[in-house]
Order: sequence, then C-alpha cells, then structure tokens
Amino acid sequence: MKINVVENVLKASGAVAEANRRRMDEARLVAINLMSAPGSGKTALLENTIPALGPDNPCAVLVGDLQTTRDAERLGHLAVQTTQINTGKGCHLSPAQVAQGLNTLALDRITFLFVENVGNMVCPAAFDLGEHLRVVLLSVPEGDDKVAKYPILFQVADAILLTKVDLIGVLEFEVRRVRDDLSRINTRAPLIELSNKTGRGMKEWLDWLHRQRRPPNRARGGTPATF
Amino acid sequence: MHEMPIATDIVERAVEAAEQHGATRIEQIEVHIGLMRQVVPEALELAFTLASEGTMAHGAKLSISQVKAVASCNVCGCRFEPEVEISFACPRCSQADVRIVAGNDIILTSVTCQADEEASLS
Repeated sequence: MKINVVENVLKASGAVAEANRRRMDEARLVAINLMSAPGSGKTALLENTIPALGPDNPCAVLVGDLQTTRDAERLGHLAVQTTQINTGKGCHLSPAQVAQGLNTLALDRITFLFVENVGNMVCPAAFDLGEHLRVVLLSVPEGDDKVAKYPILFQVADAILLTKVDLIGVLEFEVRRVRDDLSRINTRAPLIELSNKTGRGMKEWLDWLHRQRRPPNRARGGTPATF
Repeated sequence: MHEMPIATDIVERAVEAAEQHGATRIEQIEVHIGLMRQVVPEALELAFTLASEGTMAHGAKLSISQVKAVASCNVCGCRFEPEVEISFACPRCSQADVRIVAGNDIILTSVTCQADEEASLS
C-alpha cells in the first residue's frame, strides 16, 4: 500500500521557531543568531559589544556549546542575563533549546538577544531558531577561502564580520578574495572588518546594530532608548 | 551532523501516516529535500537506520530526491535556480541579493507500507 502525503517533515521544529519569534516580537527585542567556526571570536565580540552598547541597550545571551560553561562564565562578569545551553553531541542549537533558554530570561528587559550558536559552519545555517537576524563571523586565521567553501552559511547572513583583522599582515590574508567570493554569494549583507584587539571596525558594527533596533512601543508609553 | 534530527522527524512523520492507515510495517519512505538544507544523503540514510530502530520503519528503504533551490532577486525580481555550491548571483543583474523561495523544505511525499489485514478489513 502506497500512501501519498505532502507533509513538511520539520513542521514541529518550524512551529517552535515561529513561537520563539512571536515571543521575542512581543517583547520587542532583536534576536541575533551568531554563527561561525569555533574560535572565530564570537564570545570576544560580545565581551566588547555589550559594554559598548551600554545600559540603555540591555543585552542577554544564549550560549550554545557542546560542553562546558566557560563562555557563559566569560560573559558573566558583564552583568547581563546569560544562559548556557549544552547541546551534548548536537552540532547546532535547535528551536526547542532556544525556547527553553528564553524561559530563563526576563525578555521584556532586553534590547538585543545574542544567540551564540555552536561553532560549526554547516549545520547551524540549516535551522531557523526564530531569530530576526543572522550574523556570520569569519576570522582571519581561518583563511580567505572560507566564503567559497561554505557558501550557504554566508548566503543566509544579514551581516558578515571579518574578525581578527589585526592578523592580516601576519597571515597573508587577502580581503579582496573574500569580497570577490561574496560578490557571488551575498551582496546584501555588509562586510565589516573588525578587531576585538584594536577596536577597528567596532563603530561600524555598533552602528549596524543600532539600525536594527526596534522603534519604541508607544502603546506602552516607553521612552526611547538612547544609543 | 544535522541529519540525525531530520531522520528522527522523518521516522515520526512516516509512522504517523502509516498508523493512520492501519499499517504494521513500512517498506519505503520517499522524501524531497531542498539543497539549501545541506543534507548529505549517505549521512541521512545512516541516521535513518539509527532513528528507525524499534519502530515500524526499521528496515525500510529511504528514497531521497534532492530539490534545487529557487531564488528571487531582490534587485531586479528575476527568479532563477542558483547553483548553491557556487553562486547566488542573479543571471540578469549579477547582484547576489536574493530571497530563497524554494530549496529549504524537507517534504515527506509517500510512505509504502504493509497493511494490517485485520485493520484494513474492519
């Protein structure tokens, strides 16, 4: 007996992602899914970004890792709401894990929620978590050929951060090659050259974040946050 | 390996469909997978074998068809099928500013199963 069906296999996962998005929409926060290889500087980026955004733009972080609470500990001293999600053997965060993470946060006190995905350049790109924006990091030590090697990750990005640019001279990294590959993969997302060490590119990154903020909810009578 | 959660969902959906028709064993499952999902068929087959253990889908053949992506250019509106491993650049205006309109889905299209004779007679 052959049963013909047309059914979205991932409908359960998709429904959880949509529910996450609705919750975060209602809280009027902006959720940013940070994706990259391990060691590209996601946590270091947050260590610099969150203080720079200041108290008028309260942040929270959901940190995904296979094991350990080290990233959450690094972010802990910033006095922001941080929840570590250990995925065990899972190579990406799932919408259900993010839903559980959201339960641990006071969402109405957040302007930006950073979801630091598991370090991996393939799997995270395939799963919608309910985020509003996707930011992909590529660090100079990884090499200037990664956009061409992992095109789908870079295609889904709303912004691309080239990190550790202070190492460009040391490693003979060619930014031109990255830009050339992006001209075929993604011309929508800005490429921001960034160094957590020297501060280069931070203003451009913070300006980009600033443009993503939601307008104040006048119905609630809230006062606009200043940047 | 993101194939494992996908395999688990395939098994669940297929068993649901089979149970609704009073089946006792699944022989074949057909799925269409969009190329944007970056699923490796061999990895999915292996994951399916593991995920189906202890279910009526165990031992079933998993038939995988890969579906091309379709992109809509945000600049000029052109619709085209990008070669997702190489380029998303619009063939008309050359910009790689696109919205993916197909190629993200994983669709269960058929389940071939052995019917429980008593259930089908009742």
